[in-house]
Amino acid sequence: MGATSRQRVTGRTLDRLALPAGVVLTLAVLVVVFYYPVGSVLAAAVSDDGGLSLAPLLAVLGDPFYTGVAHHVVTDPLSIPGGVAEWVRAGPSLPSFGLLGFTAYQAALSTGASVLLGLPGAYLLSRYEFRGRATLRSLTILPFVLPSIMVAVGFIAMFGRTGVFNDLLGLVGLGPVNLLFTLELVVLAHAFYNAPLVIRLVTAAWEDVDARHVETARAMGASPVRAFWDVVLPQLRPALLTAALLTFLFTFMSFPIVLALGGLQLATVEVWLYARVQNLALTEAATLGVIETAISLALTYLYLRYEARQTATRAGGPSLERRALLAGRATLRDPRRVALLGYGVVALLVFVGPLASLLAESVTGPNGAFTTAYYEFLLEQQAATVSGTTRPLPAVRNSLVFAAGTLLVAVPMGVVVSLVATRGGRGSRLAEAGLTAPLAVSGIVVGLGLLQVLVFGTVLAGRRYTVTGPVAIVLAHAVAAYPFVSRNVTPALASIDSQLVAAARSLGATRLRTLVDIELPLIAAAVVAGAAFTVAISVGEFDSTVLLAEGVESYTMPVALERYIGNRSLGPNLGPATAMGSILLFVTAASFVVIDRVGGRWQP
Amino acid sequence: MKRRTYLRRTGAGVAGAALLAGCSSTDESGSPDGSDGNGGTTTGTATGTPGEPSGTLTVATYSSFTGEDTAGAWLKSAFEEEYADVTVEFTTPDNGINQFVQRKQQGAPVEADAYVGLNTGELVRVDEQLDEQLFVPVEDQLERADTVEDSLRIDPDGRAIPYDTGFISLVYDEDEVPDPETFDSLLEPEFEDGLIAQNAQQSDPSRAFVLWTVHEYGPDEYLDYWDGLVDNGVRILSDWEPAYNAYTNEEAPMVVSYSTDQVYYHGEGVDMSRHQVGFLDDQGYANPEAMATFADSDNQRLAREFMNFALTEEAQAEIAVRNVQFPAVAGVDPGGDFGQYALRPPEPVTFTYDELAGNVGTWIDDWARQVVSG
Repeated sequence: MGATSRQRVTGRTLDRLALPAGVVLTLAVLVVVFYYPVGSVLAAAVSDDGGLSLAPLLAVLGDPFYTGVAHHVVTDPLSIPGGVAEWVRAGPSLPSFGLLGFTAYQAALSTGASVLLGLPGAYLLSRYEFRGRATLRSLTILPFVLPSIMVAVGFIAMFGRTGVFNDLLGLVGLGPVNLLFTLELVVLAHAFYNAPLVIRLVTAAWEDVDARHVETARAMGASPVRAFWDVVLPQLRPALLTAALLTFLFTFMSFPIVLALGGLQLATVEVWLYARVQNLALTEAATLGVIETAISLALTYLYLRYEARQTATRAGGPSLERRALLAGRATLRDPRRVALLGYGVVALLVFVGPLASLLAESVTGPNGAFTTAYYEFLLEQQAATVSGTTRPLPAVRNSLVFAAGTLLVAVPMGVVVSLVATRGGRGSRLAEAGLTAPLAVSGIVVGLGLLQVLVFGTVLAGRRYTVTGPVAIVLAHAVAAYPFVSRNVTPALASIDSQLVAAARSLGATRLRTLVDIELPLIAAAVVAGAAFTVAISVGEFDSTVLLAEGVESYTMPVALERYIGNRSLGPNLGPATAMGSILLFVTAASFVVIDRVGGRWQP
Repeated sequence: MKRRTYLRRTGAGVAGAALLAGCSSTDESGSPDGSDGNGGTTTGTATGTPGEPSGTLTVATYSSFTGEDTAGAWLKSAFEEEYADVTVEFTTPDNGINQFVQRKQQGAPVEADAYVGLNTGELVRVDEQLDEQLFVPVEDQLERADTVEDSLRIDPDGRAIPYDTGFISLVYDEDEVPDPETFDSLLEPEFEDGLIAQNAQQSDPSRAFVLWTVHEYGPDEYLDYWDGLVDNGVRILSDWEPAYNAYTNEEAPMVVSYSTDQVYYHGEGVDMSRHQVGFLDDQGYANPEAMATFADSDNQRLAREFMNFALTEEAQAEIAVRNVQFPAVAGVDPGGDFGQYALRPPEPVTFTYDELAGNVGTWIDDWARQVVSG
């Protein structure tokens, strides 16, 4: 009696304290490695010699270089009606909205392209069965981990003037096309990075659609199209819009890839922010950061309001049956399957092309002949004894260790945030938007904050405290990654039939018990998807890793790659870096497959 | 050795880890160990003879200066061989000299003794950002400072001493285009869509190239020249590596690069046609790299020894070959392949510290705005 009652008491206490404790820990981590550092940077945008001031913001908003014709709103609002009238009189012309306007335009195009490229992929992966489907699904987020310089190498080798794409066009008597230095190629690269988000999020949602609902609709006489429209689509919409929102935020704040493929003429706001930081013009940098963050957070908040109104429920029924993709000769008579095969060709060009080109570059010498010199270079580095030499194997090991640590921190954080979001009352949308902020703040601003607050240290009571090293790196990665977990998990959690939870609770299950036994299995697919993203974010992260690493000996795969770029021992080429990039690809590909295989065990 | 105390505690659970592990604290009670410009404090072992330098020298530099086969690795081992009780350690902050300027601004400790890899524009930025001294004048105390070529000296205050220099030039493909002999010729139709440059806001060679055009056309005219270049299809990628990679992939027949290009490409069976060096108007823009001693260092004497060592003829030749840059000391000839294939411009040009002070930021900003808006 004593023991069981004691157990029951501790069980109850644990149950009552689990979520609040999770929230407190999550907030503590966020304050240390995100809110405080970022706040200390952005504060410069609204202060002037210690007092509050709007001057820096007005200076940027009133500069036609940043805001185009909209700068009149700040500088001379009374002139606007006249100006508009004049513009109408002058005949149709597109007014310029400056750097901010162009950045938003580019992000909108990139978002559209990512959705167009991602949706058919999600349809294919969730509704058709074919050999290697599960592996392919695991590998879809591979582009996420690639440093931009490697994407640039892959894209130039694929879509450049002398690239594979033009060779293929030549075979069918077309081309050549010059894509480099065009907005089209930048948008395509953004789609390469972000369509995987669409694929992964929408696939998870589609696999969660309760087949019984569709069957019920069909039994009541709905056509397949009608059933899709009324039953399936409402369950996909949150995931699709989440993916679109995230893509917009990322491409709005895109920086290196724009300049590596498009050139300075296609610069984004982030390019300017970076240049300000380089020049130590930190007030203007902070101001640009505040504007970016305000736009991003406003979009996020509006989206979350919308998402909360969606009420699709599922009760853990069976998923939709997958059809065989190939049905012998009948395959070519089915327009849907033919269209999917056509999409497969496009996907091969856009996703596999640059990755395969990158692998090919790692075994191609400057004269175009096959060479193993770059991999031999890696072996030499591994065998080198000189201190300060960057070796490939420790880089692989560090990356994996940090990724594992990030999983342990980010997945619970993401689930906690989702629980708060789905059980919230008044103001919880605002809270959730605040908790999604790591996606809405420029990486350059975050890096600057970490440098000033954690690396340089903060003075408390006469002592200077610095936070660097592996733990700090893991926490920084977790903060960057947990929103991906919560963005995957929140919609899934919200769609769980509340009657299920109520039934379990009334039968005597504690809240924690209900979470572990009922809710988590129902959202396992979403958690696994979030875990895969977490690993991708952690492995691909460069900026805070470099900042927070202690000494020259703690480096990850992207950091090693970056150092090999500057290594001229084989001449001024990117060969050694592409070899390291290929290793990065293989290691992460293996990790994703393992995550999905392990995670798949908990899925109903 | 710094007199610092490390508190390392491992907390239990995530919160403990978040707040404590990897978190070190230092006493903020006062200035670093006093060091006057002459003596400096050298902490050594009891066996070290007085006057013989000893201790650990921390050198901050860029990452490609360190590692297997680099100039940094050679300097470290040769210097340690020279002085038995000395250890050289490198630190490679990702944001370069800004790391130390920002530390100074925030009142955080500067944990390095010397900096290697400073150029004129960066020195100007250091002085514009800081009221107090980040570096100490050393020229008068360096035996070999006067062997540095006069044209390369970048610091009127004698803090930053050059150890090598690059020359910015064009690299072009002689099978595709004729030799672009002058700046003006780049505006001609035959060079349309022909040149890849880099973003001067983040790339050293391109910053030098833009300054070179300011040098050629003057601060009032260079933007007009760039207007012409943009109209003629100049491409501006982020940084030197992507730009050179695009050039290697034949995206354009010319690229802004270094005059040492052929050091990497020569010998039997190598196609030199894509590695022709173009000196516009017979010029090349010099981009000297300098080293300096931190004012906050407790090891200034050792840092000066290190700087002096880097100016010896042997070190100069080694640095040149390993860094693929020209020696800064007059009369040093590295010989070998470097001597044969590293091309010097007939007329090196560069802006002095005083010419850049107060201008360089504006020139580059205006250039970038013009390219984006144009």
